[in-house]
Amino acid sequence: MNSQILDQLKKDKILELLKTGKRIDGRSLDEQRPLVIETGVIPKANGSARVKLGNTEIITGVKIQPDKPFPDLGDKGILICTAEILPLADPNAEPGPPNEEVIELARVVDRGIRETEMIDLHKLVLIENKSVIGMFIDSSVIDSGGNLFDACSYASVAGILSCTVPKWEIKDEAPVLVEGVTSKPPIKTLPVSVTMARIGDYIIVDPTKDEESCMDARITITSNTDGNICAVQKGGSDGFTAEQLLQCSETALAVGRKIRKQFEQLM
Amino acid sequence: MVKTMTQLMTEDGIRCDGRRLDELRNISIKVGVLKNADGSAYIEFGKNKILAGVFGPRDVHPKHMANPDSGILRCRYHMSPFSVTERKNPAPSRREIEISKVIKEALQPAVILKDYPRTVIDVFIEVLQADGGSRCAALDAAAVALADAGIPMRDLVSACAAGKVADRIVLDVNNEEDQEGQADMPVALMPNMGKITLLQLDGMLKPEEFKTCMQTALVGCKRVYEIQRKALMEKYFQNGEQ
Amino acid sequence: MMDVKRRYVIPGDVIATGPLRPEQNVYQDGDRMISTCVGISEIFENSVKVIPLTGGYMPKTNDLVIGKVIGTSPLSWEFDINSCFVGFLPAQDVFGRDYSPTKDELRQRLDIGDLVATRIANFDRSRDPLLTVQDRDLGKIEAGELVEISPSKVPRLIGKRGSMIQTIEMATKAIITIGQNGWIVISCDDSEGLLKAVEAVKMIDALAHTPNLTERVKSMLGVPDGENNDTIND
Repeated sequence: MNSQILDQLKKDKILELLKTGKRIDGRSLDEQRPLVIETGVIPKANGSARVKLGNTEIITGVKIQPDKPFPDLGDKGILICTAEILPLADPNAEPGPPNEEVIELARVVDRGIRETEMIDLHKLVLIENKSVIGMFIDSSVIDSGGNLFDACSYASVAGILSCTVPKWEIKDEAPVLVEGVTSKPPIKTLPVSVTMARIGDYIIVDPTKDEESCMDARITITSNTDGNICAVQKGGSDGFTAEQLLQCSETALAVGRKIRKQFEQLM
Repeated sequence: MVKTMTQLMTEDGIRCDGRRLDELRNISIKVGVLKNADGSAYIEFGKNKILAGVFGPRDVHPKHMANPDSGILRCRYHMSPFSVTERKNPAPSRREIEISKVIKEALQPAVILKDYPRTVIDVFIEVLQADGGSRCAALDAAAVALADAGIPMRDLVSACAAGKVADRIVLDVNNEEDQEGQADMPVALMPNMGKITLLQLDGMLKPEEFKTCMQTALVGCKRVYEIQRKALMEKYFQNGEQ
Repeated sequence: MMDVKRRYVIPGDVIATGPLRPEQNVYQDGDRMISTCVGISEIFENSVKVIPLTGGYMPKTNDLVIGKVIGTSPLSWEFDINSCFVGFLPAQDVFGRDYSPTKDELRQRLDIGDLVATRIANFDRSRDPLLTVQDRDLGKIEAGELVEISPSKVPRLIGKRGSMIQTIEMATKAIITIGQNGWIVISCDDSEGLLKAVEAVKMIDALAHTPNLTERVKSMLGVPDGENNDTIND
């Protein structure tokens, strides 16, 4: 059944309410849905988080293991973020190789964490050019209710913050696990991704699934603790004006500060 | 990585996780945990943490799979990359594909599909954290999720493994026992019909041990059934027990 | 009142044994009557049935359903009717017998996303359900809010001889169109009344199997007890 088509009456109502500065779930235009973060939910992983952003729910697990560095980046550890929409998360999601939307989701989440330089990758080197620590941050959408970009990003950040990094020693040029010794990951800054949708002339923060099906265009802006903008992704089949984008960047920083407070409590 | 041989059982039959021979691990089931799915369940079975979501009956894609006389059942068992000690590649492995098939065939005798021609019922299982016996735990969650979705069923399906560890038959084999024990036998049962819908065995058993092992597993299935039943009752009837 | 024995059941539960007739949601295994769903079993003098508490909508001829237009072909509209089967409304049902695909534009009458009150004209499981809008009160729904409830709870929302729905409509001044498929459209000029009516419908969906439901709904709506006395005791 095609549940992606929103019924016209609801669409009309969303548009009607926006004219009065309101949204269908009672939020103001620049208000996020409640964010609930729970960490340590997968004890077998080195770090993990379950995040609820409204009706969207994500589980992220972090696996840390020794690895070979990338050939041209021998002085840096490895950081890879992935994201997938599990088929049980959405009636329209399909099992099988990821489609372009899922690949975009994974890459935007990865870019936000990579470009803000959240983790000091130089501190994850065991032997330069030979052996480094790899961090794999895998996010699974288990219930999809709109704005998967921010939800996956928050879950990934929370998963990283909850990590304990095992210690490896080098013996005969090979890493050997030192039992019982762990450390905190080398965190430099806290990235916060903020996604906004444009519906007509209105910009709304953290769109729900229904709002996404009415939106003209979408923008995701990730900032770091110092208030720099580090990663941006525009999506959707229409565009923005320059004024709208400047307004979005200010909103992203303001909303980002609130979310960052929630992250700080996890540290 | 070198693994040290752990002692699997003490002289007086206490297992490496402190259980007796005929004791199950802790099991908890929650029904209706996903908003998008038509039916869903979350199970914790020992250290297993597994989600099951059911969609349907619904249109079949690709169309050629549709059966004009009956609905069809599809099943996907998948492990999250972070569910096991070494990170798992997210692409489905041969093991996961086989388990998907045996789970589907264990559920099939229970579901009544004749009223839903040209449609499909999809069962999606995600193993968030894996321990021994994950296929049984997955089946237990899937059966409850199907009932939650309102798919007509002749019976629930309850699954549990038994095995041979340190020369003795034990109920509900855990991860260490599965790795280092002598046999592992997952069994699924339709408890009211008395029909066994899944039976596998890895390992070596004498004929009389085979019998005891199966009977032990069936006792486990019936105990699991009581937990499944309670979980469904909790979701649907908690606001006014008769 | 007939002597009816009620019990909470799950799939596989044996409701009764003996020479009984299995009716809805009951499977016969030898002489055992077995429930096929989560619900409330009822044993009558010579038959057994289960009222389901979950599950999708199975179309029945003559049911009024609310559908959402999800597509068109040159000769018909396709409707999501909250079922595993897609509903078809032939173009001729709206345009009349001299409908011509070259002259008439389907989407000018009913567009994708529109909600429509329709009736199931024919359904036999070998083909997808055929819909019609040729009746009083049928056709495109111009205003209101869609609320989705479990189709198995629609009878409870209506109540005996329409008592429950009348109670809600009178207390809130809302107009409620009930689809047997569990899709309910509520419209009301007063926004307060709309909120109340939506809440009442959701409450019935959540608490359909509990006793004293009518009283609970009335107290939520602020209707004094004793009014609308033809309601049944639960």
